[in-house]
Amino acid sequence: MSTPKNPMELIDRYLQAVRFWLPKSQRQEDLIAELGEDLRSQIDAKETELGHPLDATEVSAILKHCGSPMIVAARLGPKQHLIGPTLFPIYLFVLKMVLLWILVPVFIFIIGPVNVAKAGSDWGTAVVNTLGDLWFGLFVAAGTITLIFAVLERTHAQVAIADKWDPLKLPPVRKQERKTSLAQTVCEIFFGMIGVMWLLLLPYHPGLILGPAHTFLKAAPVWHMFYVPILLLGIVGLLRSGITLARPQWAWFPRVAQLLQTVLSLIMLNLMIRTAAPPTGGDWHPFVVLADAAKNSAEYVRVAAVLNSSILLSLAAAWLGLCIAVAIQSWQFLGFIRNRVSSTGQPASLHVQ
Amino acid sequence: MYHTVYVTSYMTTSMTARAEVFENLKLELRRGCLTLAVLTQLRTEQYGYTLRKALAEDGLEIDEGTLYPLLRRLETQGLLVSQWREEDKRNKRFYRLSPQGELTLNQLLSEWQRINTSLGKILQEA
Repeated sequence: MSTPKNPMELIDRYLQAVRFWLPKSQRQEDLIAELGEDLRSQIDAKETELGHPLDATEVSAILKHCGSPMIVAARLGPKQHLIGPTLFPIYLFVLKMVLLWILVPVFIFIIGPVNVAKAGSDWGTAVVNTLGDLWFGLFVAAGTITLIFAVLERTHAQVAIADKWDPLKLPPVRKQERKTSLAQTVCEIFFGMIGVMWLLLLPYHPGLILGPAHTFLKAAPVWHMFYVPILLLGIVGLLRSGITLARPQWAWFPRVAQLLQTVLSLIMLNLMIRTAAPPTGGDWHPFVVLADAAKNSAEYVRVAAVLNSSILLSLAAAWLGLCIAVAIQSWQFLGFIRNRVSSTGQPASLHVQ
Repeated sequence: MYHTVYVTSYMTTSMTARAEVFENLKLELRRGCLTLAVLTQLRTEQYGYTLRKALAEDGLEIDEGTLYPLLRRLETQGLLVSQWREEDKRNKRFYRLSPQGELTLNQLLSEWQRINTSLGKILQEA
């Protein structure tokens, strides 16, 4: 950068730099003209005080005192924001909801395990690719949400939102009825995640359930029929725990959701046991069948028969356990409803115990 | 030694935070006073630089970045009127109180007197 021969040219350079940072409008020229006049008046006053015309260094000191062009423009220009204080809390809520409660769980529980399962032995690359996709997804989602809210801000949609509320429609004061322990819910989520991942990996790695026996045994067709419903039940359980954690004030939710999940599991188990019922004659291999290579081995046939009987007995025991669970959970739910009904009409306490 | 470094670092951070709180409160306190001072000064017509100079001479320094947006705002609110005029071969923007500004200033000065009296009483009691 060259030092101008005429020190006053520094003022024009300074004003040009300030103009660059100001939004283009009629007001911009007005502000620049006024700032320029102020600076020239300061120089006039200084020249009168010193008794000689100012050189470049002295003019530069005045400009330096005024502040950097970008900061001066920020002070002079209109106060701008992408998303204003009215919309910001809603923006933050939507952002958290989409990124933390939708996108991240979808990648962890669905996309990630599927990618890992598809990759087989090259699971490291699959994990890295999934993380890359997750990062890209988060970036795009955050950008899109920000853009939508910036448009809403510019279209003054916040005025409509701010006006559309009615004190009479505010939700009642929350009663702290949380009975579900936080640690229990977190454990449910953790083990639920492991369970769902295990289920997703099973079709590709049968050794995860059959162990070394997967060399001579394979899953019977009944599992192909019930695999998706079992997986869905696992995901539903995970969602239930997630909602319980996110909405602890919904005291009714864990009870209703748990009961529904248990009933659905019972129905499915019942169907599985019926499907696996022994035929009147012939071979009975409802859960595991011999792999082609081991069909001629009498020992493997015996192992398969024992295993099929054991699985059937386990399912029957589980069925009995679920029947008892349905009865207990129904009773607990009825007790909860009774408490709710008896407390209706009493004023809600503002004190949190 | 680590303890000394930690304590020094903690004290520096704490002092910076306290200074920041003070600066913010001072800014809040000044904001209303500046408006009152500017309106009072503009009972007689002035342009930006002379107004800044007059305020600074009375002990209220104000930079360009604060004064000009304030003048714009007061003009938009109808409390000031402005006019570009040539003086000493240079174009200058002159400001003065509008009739509505005169009325508002009188109301604000009454309010200022009332607050000042109350605060005086509170400070005496303390």
